[in-house]
Amino acid sequence: MSKTLLVTRPNHDKTTNYLYYWSVLVIKEARKRGVDVYDLSGKKATKNNLDSYLKSQKPRLLFLNGHGDEKTITGHDFEPILESGRKEPVENTIIYARSCEAASVLGSKLIKDGATSFIGYLRKFIFGYTPSKITRPLEDSLAKLFLEPSNLVVIAIIKGNSVEEAHERSKKAMFENFKKMISTTATHEEKYAARWLWGNINSQVIYGEKGAVI
Amino acid sequence: MIKVNNYQDLNESQKEELKKIALARVQVMPRDLNVSVGSESMNKNELIKHINEGDGIGESLMLTELEFLRDLASGAIYANE
Repeated sequence: MSKTLLVTRPNHDKTTNYLYYWSVLVIKEARKRGVDVYDLSGKKATKNNLDSYLKSQKPRLLFLNGHGDEKTITGHDFEPILESGRKEPVENTIIYARSCEAASVLGSKLIKDGATSFIGYLRKFIFGYTPSKITRPLEDSLAKLFLEPSNLVVIAIIKGNSVEEAHERSKKAMFENFKKMISTTATHEEKYAARWLWGNINSQVIYGEKGAVI
Repeated sequence: MIKVNNYQDLNESQKEELKKIALARVQVMPRDLNVSVGSESMNKNELIKHINEGDGIGESLMLTELEFLRDLASGAIYANE
């Protein structure tokens, strides 16, 4: 199977705009390492496009950014692109969902649909950000504390780590950031936002084959 | 300390207690900090509104607060060191 990464990254509101820009770092790393990248960005993050690429390209790695709930992950303008109520074409795919609550119901359903592994969040994915940086998300050092460790899930898999190693590396990186955020040298904003990162650490879970690699 | 992971598992008295704690703690949230929770991006005042209304976003924020306080008190946040 070829090393292929499929990314969905809508950007129709503030939250998805942050995820949209921070996902660029993952895409760059993937291309640098010779991984074929299919990028469903902005308005291209639709159900039709996702299904089409899943069926035609059969990507080994699927990186989803967007809103969601227990049973759904959405794309552009909240269009559901993966749902627990239907069989999804995710056979042999390793999935990371940077989306709220999808691990609660949808994650295990995708494993039943044939996905190899799934990493996601049982509760809401929360991140703090700096209002003055909203037009320049990659310059937001506060958001970086949340989004860089979550990027690490995909980057670690691209580098050849197993899904479990990627999950653990990401959680370790989150914890390192968390320690900085509760230290005496942290800013007031970092100290306050630490509780949200702690929630993400406890909410990130893994299903399916833990030893899977791309 | 309340020990639950689901807001719906709390009784009314516990929900009120948790809301008071969350509202008290959010008073010290810096103005130059916003938060993204699900599809909502919020400043301090909007966050307070969600907690007061006890909607889904408010419940998530209150449970996150509870978990953080509980794990601070128990020392669980130092367990990974």
